[in-house]
Amino acid sequence: MNPLDKPFAQLALVLVTVLALPLFLKSGILATEILIFAMVVAACNLLLGYTGLLSFGQGIFFGIGTYVAGIFLTRWSVPVPLVLAGAAILGAATATLVGWLSIRRQGVYFVMLTLAFSQLFYFMAYTFSGVTGGDNGLLGVPRPAIGGNALDGPWSYYTYVAVCFVVIFALLVMVTQSTFGRTLLAIRENEGRAAAIGFPTKLFKIEAFAISGAVTALGGALHAMLIGVAPLSNIEYHTSELILIMTIIGGSSSLFGSVLGAGFYLLLADALSTIWPRWLLLLGLVLVAVALFLQGGLWGLVVRGYDLIFRRDRAPNTSAEEH
Amino acid sequence: MIYLFQVLNGIGLGMLYFLLAVGLSVVFGLLQFVNFAHGAFYLLGAYLTYDLTTRGFSFWLAMPMATLIVACIAAVIEALLLHRIYKLPHTFHILVTVGLALVIQEMVIIAWGPLGGSVPAPDGLQGVVIWGDFIYPQYRLFTIGLTAVLAGLLWWLLEGTRLGAIVRGGSESPSNMALLGYNTLRINTAVFGFGAGLAGLAGALAAPIRGVEPFMGIEALSVAFVVVVIGGMGSYTGALVAGLLVGVVQSVMTTLWPEGARLMIYIGMALVIALMPRGLLGRA
Repeated sequence: MNPLDKPFAQLALVLVTVLALPLFLKSGILATEILIFAMVVAACNLLLGYTGLLSFGQGIFFGIGTYVAGIFLTRWSVPVPLVLAGAAILGAATATLVGWLSIRRQGVYFVMLTLAFSQLFYFMAYTFSGVTGGDNGLLGVPRPAIGGNALDGPWSYYTYVAVCFVVIFALLVMVTQSTFGRTLLAIRENEGRAAAIGFPTKLFKIEAFAISGAVTALGGALHAMLIGVAPLSNIEYHTSELILIMTIIGGSSSLFGSVLGAGFYLLLADALSTIWPRWLLLLGLVLVAVALFLQGGLWGLVVRGYDLIFRRDRAPNTSAEEH
Repeated sequence: MIYLFQVLNGIGLGMLYFLLAVGLSVVFGLLQFVNFAHGAFYLLGAYLTYDLTTRGFSFWLAMPMATLIVACIAAVIEALLLHRIYKLPHTFHILVTVGLALVIQEMVIIAWGPLGGSVPAPDGLQGVVIWGDFIYPQYRLFTIGLTAVLAGLLWWLLEGTRLGAIVRGGSESPSNMALLGYNTLRINTAVFGFGAGLAGLAGALAAPIRGVEPFMGIEALSVAFVVVVIGGMGSYTGALVAGLLVGVVQSVMTTLWPEGARLMIYIGMALVIALMPRGLLGRA
């Protein structure tokens, strides 16, 4: 195992990222968005990298979190911590349902089902526009307040999100280090064998889904407060696609890879979308290139670079190492 | 009467879904490869038809040309790129084809703008058919007839010809086929082009009914997924039954609950999966 993959190294990297973003980025909104997506992508990675489930439906949970924040903050002014807890609970509940139905089929059928479910929830949000605001979304979602002051400045809200992010990331690292997390890895490696030993593999997969859904919905709620709107686009197919793309670009073998994936995508989007509105064409080419030349994702690149510099003796066969 | 109208609409729509799903299915059967760019080929077929008809070509020429162009583009993509990634885990199949779908979608927007457009019904089919007090557009009736003929042809092609036997042989054991002297690489390219061509044809036929817009591809992709999840991948009958079912449900719901018609497709799918996890026909 590479020293960078150790839990404390991962946490240290996250702390460095949280402290470094304000030094390098002018826009607090962009920095906050990176942390929110980093959290959401890490939750997707719990499914893809640690359980071997490629979910094309993460946008469902993100959208649900967005609407929980939109509805409870604009209509009833519920306190923010309660809203975040509510988003996480509803996200976990929805993920349990979607996970329970989707894992009835395996492999590519599973992927297709998760994509179809993302369309189901999108059309639900679109159809019941009385609740969700339909195409217009829910406007005027307020930021949280601390000591009576709303966190309206970009960097004050960044701090709020950063605290949530570090806590959630640490929890996810703990999950992956626990017996539960080890069992997920066993399921990823060989489900039949894990089941034969006596693990209820379906239950483990559904639990992984629930955790992932809770974190993703929390991210969705934080996102609605960031942009001040709960938009329909947060529950669209594109959000699911976006989260998955970030996860694979970042690399699915470590949770910090997800932070890299989210950061890379959002910085690229920020730089290119102003220059050329059709920049997604370039993104498509990047995805093809990642599949052909960078299958370990950005994290794989970091690990290879680290080995090249600090562990020359081991550099040639890094890819053959187990995690 | 309105229900008869909607059921006929649903059959027409369902046959288009069937074409889409069979294309996806054939490619998956042979290559064990899920093509997330399938919807993009449908999009391209529709836009090429739109382009050719606005340039003054007759629909009767535009439709086969669009289908052929899509099939050729797909075959070139397969030969240059996709055959390199078959051995990778399916995560990367998805990544590459999602990337391709983005490239195609953005190129469509660059070429024809983000707004979309409409394609008139072809010459000779612009009128309606009248039986007593029942009135039905000729073009929609024509698509039902044409797709039924195509469905028959496809069945014969896949089950009754040497070509079909080669494809089925290839999906069971590529190495044995290679041993028997077949060029499996070339078969793969041809089948991928064929599957994409079916998507292109579905797009070309759908263009006069629903118009064209840049995001129609994603909707088609997810409906095709619903059809193969319910009907079973690699199953011709399953795709036909599930395609028709989805089409009819969607159309009939358009009368009962217009806003929720498309939602009902997915609710229906969720119910099928909850009650019959193996799908309607219980395969795979």
